[in-house]
Amino acid sequence: MSNQTSARPWSFITDLPSNIWRSIFRNPLPDSDHGRSATSFTNFFLHMQPVKVHRHSLRLTYTWGLGLISLFLFLILAVTGVLLMFYYVPSTTQAYDRMLDLRGTVAFGIFLRNMHRWAAHGMVAVVFLHMCRVFLTGAYKKPREFNWVVGVGLFLLTMFSSFTGYLLPWDQLAFWAITVGTSIASYAPVFGKDVKFLLLGDSSVGQEALLRFYVLHVAVLPILVTLLVAIHFWRVRKDGGLSRPREEDEVFPMPEVEPAVMVAAASGAGATIAVAAPKPSLKAALQQKLYGIQGIVRGPFTKIGNVPDKTVFSWPNLVRAELLVFLITVAGVLIVSLYFNAPLEEPVNIMHPPNPAKAPWYFLGLQEMVSYSAFWGGVGIPTIEVIILLLAPYLDRKPGGVGKWFARERLLANSLFMTFVVVNIVLMMIGTFFRGPNWEFVSPW
Amino acid sequence: MAKEPEKPSTEQESGETLTRRKMLAWITGMGVFGSVTVSAFSNFVFIKPRVTYGQPNRFSIGKPEAFPPGSRMTLDTRRICVVRDGNRIAAISTTCTHLGCIVATSETGFACPCHGSHYDQDGNVTGGPAPRALPWYQVSLAPNGELEVDKDIEIEPGIYLNV
Repeated sequence: MSNQTSARPWSFITDLPSNIWRSIFRNPLPDSDHGRSATSFTNFFLHMQPVKVHRHSLRLTYTWGLGLISLFLFLILAVTGVLLMFYYVPSTTQAYDRMLDLRGTVAFGIFLRNMHRWAAHGMVAVVFLHMCRVFLTGAYKKPREFNWVVGVGLFLLTMFSSFTGYLLPWDQLAFWAITVGTSIASYAPVFGKDVKFLLLGDSSVGQEALLRFYVLHVAVLPILVTLLVAIHFWRVRKDGGLSRPREEDEVFPMPEVEPAVMVAAASGAGATIAVAAPKPSLKAALQQKLYGIQGIVRGPFTKIGNVPDKTVFSWPNLVRAELLVFLITVAGVLIVSLYFNAPLEEPVNIMHPPNPAKAPWYFLGLQEMVSYSAFWGGVGIPTIEVIILLLAPYLDRKPGGVGKWFARERLLANSLFMTFVVVNIVLMMIGTFFRGPNWEFVSPW
Repeated sequence: MAKEPEKPSTEQESGETLTRRKMLAWITGMGVFGSVTVSAFSNFVFIKPRVTYGQPNRFSIGKPEAFPPGSRMTLDTRRICVVRDGNRIAAISTTCTHLGCIVATSETGFACPCHGSHYDQDGNVTGGPAPRALPWYQVSLAPNGELEVDKDIEIEPGIYLNV
């Protein structure tokens, strides 16, 4: 090489593009297993993923890509949200006009708002479906209990983000939905009134509330979501990847040639490392050094070396699947945003609530319950539901049925969960379609 | 920190003895914990507004002559309904006690558009999820002859101001 550089003195210019490229992407497109590992290791975005991923985790019919779709919707929301911030003013006198400007004068304004609105609705739905997937496949069981708790936190943050965003257009829908929503909070015992006052910054919804909701919506909540998402993903890796049935992890007999280093991670605190190398040669020591840190993860077994198992390299298998889900998600949001405009009602009229005044669809189940009792419907029952959700992995300790949809061993738990889901969806449907003026029962037909 | 390995393990076994190091660690720990508690609390103090920028709760609604006898006039911006019965005047809240929507006047009293609560002419609950009656506010006659309503003072329903 040095001969060539001396032969071509201007090579630092001619080689400039490839030198820059190689300084960023240190590996050529891999054509060997070593290359595929190196690609995963040396790329910031890829190193969040394992080098090898279990075939079971790649099954579309197991995960339906719901967690990934949630992430991608969140990314779409972050990008479109930042763009919308360039034109939005959180002021009661200007906010609604800015909405009209997005429609009328801002280039792509209406399209960006559509994307933001539909992605937000989509995220609430997909995060909920993701939670259903995790429950119905028993994926919250040991050692994934805490990640389920983080997931419930993310679900609540998603709802709260959506709720705070709901006020920002400052139209009739926004104003009355937030008036009703924050009044529900005031029914909470002891701190209810204070929570409402802190949220609104005043005794009723007004300029202070708009500013507070804006700050929560664009700064506080996204930071919390990002933090919890990071923990959520990190725990997925550290808890041994996505859940799968026990039999998927059967250890195959080790090959005679080339002894492999095997790290069996104890489920408890300390990890025992069994080295199957005959004597501590330099090669074995290197193998241990190279793979040791990645090897110590929770989960039944992490295999190092060419032990036959059911894993495949993340590059390209996992990356390809993720890209596909990303494209489908973006395409879906784009198509919906092209055909449907985000609703914008009349500007706020403090004197005339719309009749009926309805919350966003995902809160209509809550609003339906609230129409029977403000405390039990709005505070009591939802709190109990959230507590049961949070405690689910600690109440249900039976290890069976993990990694399968509707496993027979989990008939009771799944039935209870499905009842919870169906009841909430039915309440939501009643609130959406069967309630008319004065919240009286109407037939949609 | 550098001296730590030199310490014999006997100190750990007899956890009762209070060494200078333990004492300092304990004081430092309490200091950190206390600072965190105080800063968390001061954040709450910070976000709880000392003044609000909304409407005042005590306001004038004009001369009694503006409300003819037998009238029930809703002042939507103030969220009250001014009732005049002969020479007696009262102010009833039009904020639904359920979830804060504005109740509309109906033939039988008040009706809430949000969750279907119904009230009679005096604000008593006659149907729906509302947990209690619409409050009555204190009405007084200011020296300049104008009526003044104070929404911070709730009075017994049925108490009117004679004008």
